[in-house]
Amino acid sequence: MQKSTHITGKAVAITIILALAIAAGIIAFYRIDTTGRKGCCLGPEFGYDLNAYREINPDLILYKEVKRFSTGLQETRAIAVSRGDSQNIYVAGDSVIVKFTPDGKKLSEFQLENPPRCLTVGEDNTIYVGTKNYIVVYNNKGKRLSQWEHLGPNAYLTSIVVEKNHLFAADAGNRIIHHFDTSGGEINQIGAKDPSRNIPGFVIPSPYFDLAVAADGLLRVTNPGKHRIEAYTFKGDLEFSWGRPSLSIEAFCGCCNPVNFALLPDGSFVTCEKGLTRVKILDAEGNFIGVVAGPQQFIEHEKVCNEKTANRTAVGLDVAVDKQERILILDSCISEVRIFTRKK
Amino acid sequence: MKNSEEKNTYNRRELLRDGMRGALLLGVGTVGGLLTRRTQTDRTAWQIDPYKCIACGNCATYCVLEESAVKCVHAFAMCGYCELCTGYFEPEPAALNSGAENLLCPTGAIIRNKIEDPYHEYTIDEPLCIGCGKCVRGCNAFGNGSLFLQVRHDRCLNCNECSIAKSCPSDAFRRVPADQPYLLKEVQQSE
Repeated sequence: MQKSTHITGKAVAITIILALAIAAGIIAFYRIDTTGRKGCCLGPEFGYDLNAYREINPDLILYKEVKRFSTGLQETRAIAVSRGDSQNIYVAGDSVIVKFTPDGKKLSEFQLENPPRCLTVGEDNTIYVGTKNYIVVYNNKGKRLSQWEHLGPNAYLTSIVVEKNHLFAADAGNRIIHHFDTSGGEINQIGAKDPSRNIPGFVIPSPYFDLAVAADGLLRVTNPGKHRIEAYTFKGDLEFSWGRPSLSIEAFCGCCNPVNFALLPDGSFVTCEKGLTRVKILDAEGNFIGVVAGPQQFIEHEKVCNEKTANRTAVGLDVAVDKQERILILDSCISEVRIFTRKK
Repeated sequence: MKNSEEKNTYNRRELLRDGMRGALLLGVGTVGGLLTRRTQTDRTAWQIDPYKCIACGNCATYCVLEESAVKCVHAFAMCGYCELCTGYFEPEPAALNSGAENLLCPTGAIIRNKIEDPYHEYTIDEPLCIGCGKCVRGCNAFGNGSLFLQVRHDRCLNCNECSIAKSCPSDAFRRVPADQPYLLKEVQQSE
């Protein structure tokens, strides 16, 4: 009798051990990722999530998109609007300048010898095109008028603006502004670091460096590494600056923003940011007014940009404003011009 | 005298024999060299294509080694030396200093050194880096993408079937020649 009880206890023990072993095997089978499809098992502290900053309060969005059209170019660099009544749109990209009507109908194009980096159109419709390190001048028909002096191997022109007899070219490579007369003679250089004049110097981590002349007669220049817009006289004196870094909608995000900007007739700024792709309106003192378009309007842009990680120099937006105060955004990732107008 | 002259004479038979030996040795050497070279060229190693990598984090956990053979590396020529480096700082840091609450890297594997106001150099402390790629995502999101992941061959076992490669969602792992085992990012120079 005792022997029988002993055998029964042994059988139960073996059964329990076997059951536990089978259970452990089943659990292990389901827990081990034999296919590598279950994804990363890192904790949330290893995540990098900007989604909370991609959402923008709809009440802050003051503009709506009214039109978009393709430039037909592979790689676009800059956009400008003529100052006359025609309000034609010029886009620089590949090795051409393309002219469109305000409605986006292609009018003409002319070839360049080298890829353009930036362009501006004068009051007389003369077209100034910046290549990597020199400026070429064309008339409105695309006839080459002159080529200015080579600015050296380190030059990297990213923006130019013409105002009466003055032309300013932003040189991201040398971190200065070249100030020329309209015949190509260099008058001075602006913005080089000079503690004796209280000039901090430009910090340009990526090739985005924009400028414009405001109605008050001062030159406005981005200082993206310092997340600021600075105001200079034509003689090169720093008058004031504004801007601060933050992911919040009122400030400039990431390491180096804004990438480009344009001025509205009332003196307020239309700024473009990369990383979190945002186009915003700030007043002349840098106070936040509203949003033209946020990350939700640039989903396709960001998707294509991420696919173009090999060419990260082409991820920023360029912007121009026409006489009707329409905001023209050149989306360099999808090579389209997108037109926004203020909501009523 | 006569024997000595005979010894110094080099007849046609001996010339042919020595010539054949020389040619044979040369042929064996050439074939051996070619075979060795071919063997070396055929040797391959695993590497990550930095332009395909999405820094998903799988490299940190799928490597068969306890500490992953994948580490972050830094292409200094591409770096902006930013004061506010988005690969180093949390997206919204309280201050731009090395306080733990401000740092993006969960293991503190990035060292920040001031070069000249406002420029800072960022280097990877490899023993601390686990290859999670969080800094890579931060750098790619806003910056120039100078931080990226690479398989370090001083520790990679070069498994025939790499478990990270199997789990890589962007197909960024590939075999590269063992004598050129790294796929480094470079600054794009264009006119």
